Amino acid sequence: MRYSIRTAAAVAALSLGGAFAAPAQAATICFAFQDLETEFWVAGHLAITSTLTEAGHTVLERNANEDANRQFEQVNDCIAQGVDGVILIPQDGESATTIVANAQENDVPVAVFNRPPSDLSRGIVVVADNAVIAEQAVDHIVEKALAEAEEGATLNAVIVVGDLGDPNAVGRRAGFNSAIEKHADRFNVIEVASNWDAATALSNLEAAVTANPQIDLLFTSSDFLFPTIRSVLEPRGMWVPRGEEGHVWMAGLDGDATACSLIKEGYVDATGVQDLYFEAESALNAILKAVEEGNTDPNEVIEDPGFALTSDNLAEREMDMWGCVLLAEGFLDQ
Amino acid sequence: MTYFGSTGGLPRPAAVKGAPAGPDAVAPADPGKPGSRRQSDRLGAILLSDYFVLYLSLFYVAVLIPFLPTLATPANMSNVLSNMWPLLVVAVGQTFVLTIAGIDLSQGSVAGLTSILIAMLLATAAPAQVLGHTPIWGLMLTEAGGPLAGVAYGTWLGIGIVLAVAALIGLANGLAVAVLKMPAFMVTLVALIALSAFAIWLTQSNNIRELPADFVALGKGTIVSLFFGDQHSAQLPRREVHAFVTWPMIVAVSVAVVAHVLLGHTVFGRRVFAIGLNRRAAEISGVPVVRIVVLVFVISAVCAAIGGLLYTARLETGRPTLGGGNFLLDVIGATVIGGTSLFGGKAKILWTVWGVLFFVLLGNTLNLMNLSAFHIDMVKGGVIIAAAFLDVARQRLRRGMG
Repeated sequence: MRYSIRTAAAVAALSLGGAFAAPAQAATICFAFQDLETEFWVAGHLAITSTLTEAGHTVLERNANEDANRQFEQVNDCIAQGVDGVILIPQDGESATTIVANAQENDVPVAVFNRPPSDLSRGIVVVADNAVIAEQAVDHIVEKALAEAEEGATLNAVIVVGDLGDPNAVGRRAGFNSAIEKHADRFNVIEVASNWDAATALSNLEAAVTANPQIDLLFTSSDFLFPTIRSVLEPRGMWVPRGEEGHVWMAGLDGDATACSLIKEGYVDATGVQDLYFEAESALNAILKAVEEGNTDPNEVIEDPGFALTSDNLAEREMDMWGCVLLAEGFLDQ
Repeated sequence: MTYFGSTGGLPRPAAVKGAPAGPDAVAPADPGKPGSRRQSDRLGAILLSDYFVLYLSLFYVAVLIPFLPTLATPANMSNVLSNMWPLLVVAVGQTFVLTIAGIDLSQGSVAGLTSILIAMLLATAAPAQVLGHTPIWGLMLTEAGGPLAGVAYGTWLGIGIVLAVAALIGLANGLAVAVLKMPAFMVTLVALIALSAFAIWLTQSNNIRELPADFVALGKGTIVSLFFGDQHSAQLPRREVHAFVTWPMIVAVSVAVVAHVLLGHTVFGRRVFAIGLNRRAAEISGVPVVRIVVLVFVISAVCAAIGGLLYTARLETGRPTLGGGNFLLDVIGATVIGGTSLFGGKAKILWTVWGVLFFVLLGNTLNLMNLSAFHIDMVKGGVIIAAAFLDVARQRLRRGMG
């Protein structure tokens, strides 16, 4: 059974609406997620749960509230309840590896959505190539910043790093570094830790900007931190749109509605886009296929190639980004 | 022997084993209605029984089974037991501190620090890409792992080292409380913040994986697994083979038994109770208060460390954030639900065992009801309030009996 998430119904309601055929076999799927603190996770959660429910499957939702041990226990409880499969958004790569192995030892297939286990050899793993996507986004702002800068001047580049226990954060940092290394002599890099926490990012970024009042380029490892970044830069007169004096070239990664809005307004210049609908669809199809075939330990890595939405390609590719689709639907007005 | 007195409107019990006699014993509440008196006596006896929370757990399960049949399945019971053991060890340590009318908020951070220290010592490999920028890289950890990787008896040596570190933390907490007369709440709150930050700084918030198999067995190793049902093929379905006797169970039960003896059957235990009931009176009576308070905090920290080791082995990862979030809510909640008084002087390890069982059952059943994490925490908070109220009610009932 194959489903397609990228439909008009998905655009309207982040679910498949009436586009699904009835399933050949109704399955009970445990959807265990670590939290819903960003637009990406909220949209992914809605897409997966709505799609499964509307297709006649039963979904047992488990929110671990950012506690890896709790998620481990929740998945065990799901297994005791006799679920046919597990879709997992883990707290981090390490706990994902343990949970996937544990589920497979109990003959329950698992698909890991977006945040990959540190061991990719077990489970269905749907993941974006974070390094490549980040590099594309950073390449764009590097070129713009260098084109605007004086010949031979050294520029300050800030990267807001995620939780490095998360392979996504590691990949995004690697992508940023690859883009910067192409012009290593032109950039002074300042790393700001966020641990995927807005409060941590706020205090560390304030310290970094106070120590380095001239920021030329900034990359955040996740779009959800843009409001935090704005609250640091705006009082210092550094939150300025493209084309105006003092604009800081900025890029992010995720492709959420806030980033889309900010690119349109000119404050942000690029974002690496994870194809949320492709990832959700791939995870669903793979887990349901495994359930249908009775395959209890499917092992497969499904890569989301992603792309970078920039101020230059905005007109052509806007509606390929899930956040722009949500924005068009009035997501930020809700 | 029958005890009566002012119960503040609560049922008036009689013939309660272990309840102290009092000079204010009075006549039965309602001599005209012996049946009703027997009922209230029975209720009082149950309320004051050592097994009250166990009865409550059994009642809770009996009520829910018709609606949640999964609750009684071997798979679920195996999960409940598995979730109990690490929490029990930590709660046992907290029981000692609550008994002296103190509190140890640093247990979560001790568990987190322990987790990262043991992983740092025992890891068999470490990725430079993730951990290369941390302060421990090159000093304690390299791509070949930690200093005890591959060393004979390295796991036991590592465990000994982290338990010693935990004991030192407990010693510092205890000295601050007993010698400097600082409030336990403040001392352990500062320890909670400082140790958590230190653990996160050590690995820059990264986790350490690749732990040796003998250490992982400590948290997941099975001694007796059971299969229920008919065997239809040579290969038993793995999903239907359930672990019941495990290494974490052995560790937790051992800790609980030792603690039970220590608290209930030794001079040390009596001194702990004496301090909790009235510290000044204990001092005047010659109880070495400073030494006992320090030892209690050492016990608490060591128990937190053992719990941290079990969680680390179970998750196969050293995590600096282990013990964060609602961990303390679970530990203190389970201990108080068991019947240990927040005001000191009243505790039993057995009560803590039942409290942990009830608390784990509560979380498990709320999961089975498909409630969200937020609802689960709200219900847990409500249950802790109810337990605190029940504690007050039981105190009044006891006082009422003299």
